[in-house]
Amino acid sequence: MSEQAISQQEIDAVFPKVAQIIADALGCDVEDVKAKESLIEGLDAESIDFLDLVFRLERGFGVKIPRGKIVEDARGPLSEAEFENKGIVTDAGLERLRSFLTEVPPERFRTPLKAADIPRLFTPETFCKVVVRAQRAAQAAA
Amino acid sequence: MNERFAAFSFVDRISRRTLQHIEGQYTVPAHATRFPASLMAEAVGQLAAWSAMSSHDFSLRPVAGLAARTRYLQAACPGQTLTLEAEIVRCDAEAIAYGGRASIGGRCALELDDCLGPMLPMEEFDEAQAVRRDFEMLCGPGAAAGRFGGVPVPDLEPTEHLPGRRLVATLRVPGRDEAPFFGDHFPRRAVYPGTLLLDALGRLAVTVADEARAERDAGEWLPRTVTDVKIRTFTPPGARLELSAELIDVDTHCARLKLAARGDGRSVASAKIEVGAAPEVTT
Repeated sequence: MSEQAISQQEIDAVFPKVAQIIADALGCDVEDVKAKESLIEGLDAESIDFLDLVFRLERGFGVKIPRGKIVEDARGPLSEAEFENKGIVTDAGLERLRSFLTEVPPERFRTPLKAADIPRLFTPETFCKVVVRAQRAAQAAA
Repeated sequence: MNERFAAFSFVDRISRRTLQHIEGQYTVPAHATRFPASLMAEAVGQLAAWSAMSSHDFSLRPVAGLAARTRYLQAACPGQTLTLEAEIVRCDAEAIAYGGRASIGGRCALELDDCLGPMLPMEEFDEAQAVRRDFEMLCGPGAAAGRFGGVPVPDLEPTEHLPGRRLVATLRVPGRDEAPFFGDHFPRRAVYPGTLLLDALGRLAVTVADEARAERDAGEWLPRTVTDVKIRTFTPPGARLELSAELIDVDTHCARLKLAARGDGRSVASAKIEVGAAPEVTT
């Protein structure tokens, strides 16, 4: 799947609201929400927080974010077998992740990377991009 | 006594079901020793759970996760019948999103808005075939009445108390053999129900609110609205949790408080609560 690149301007436009939603979901101060910091490692987010976050983003922005959409988009054109093997992200999968999660510093893509640990890479900017994609999809469907 | 589908099951019958809507009923047994208001929310949640489980052919089941808002409008007394309804907003392999209500005698007693329950493998919690049979019974003749015996008052020991501002207490979760509900919640994995945890937190909140309000003799205050509930982890039998209720603000009508439960140094659950004039009790 190819997509039009998301500009920094688009990210900046939604970031304040996304940051506030993240702060509400995690019970932290909005000042503690840094665009490129891992939500799990930096703000102690857990899997239930990601569910909460997606739910709040849907309500806050009036968009639909299908469950599993982030990982599905991250996989892009690769099949599941091309993307991961026995729970470990393949080299092709890693390359795809690096190009998709451009907000994640390269040193954080440790190998071997378990597919289950992909959410550890997610940052507030990851969710800004999720919102922008959902807004684009809504506009395209209108 | 077999506790499964008895000691903590709050749907007696499912009367109508589509993919987006489910209705049923539950009668609080006349002999039930204690039926806290939070169990009305449990009943609506369980009704939604039946819908989710049947949609996934009983291979998955939801567990407590998030509840954006729960409004308590009326208490439920032993012998009363709750009419239960749930709207299923979304249900997939990751989570069920739903809202719902419980009514008594045609009057709304509880409303649940924007709830989300993560879906987990059924085999961790119960035997799929047995759950399927229970569901068929609920959709057919209904389950036997009077299965629930009541739940104990939470065992809370205060450890820090700033009257009218903050109360911290240790909750001693009953052991597996001390509480029949563990045999039903769940048969293969005993988990302290999130709704009982919220009941315990609500008791702390009422104590702090009572201390904080100006006119303490102007009628009883009870939980009215609970928001932003998040259950983060499972609590096993015998656990010790640190519960806290901290005042946010208070006026003549109600008090708002922040609630938290922690165990082993990590957050177990969090919520906010509004405590105010007691809901009307119908007899």
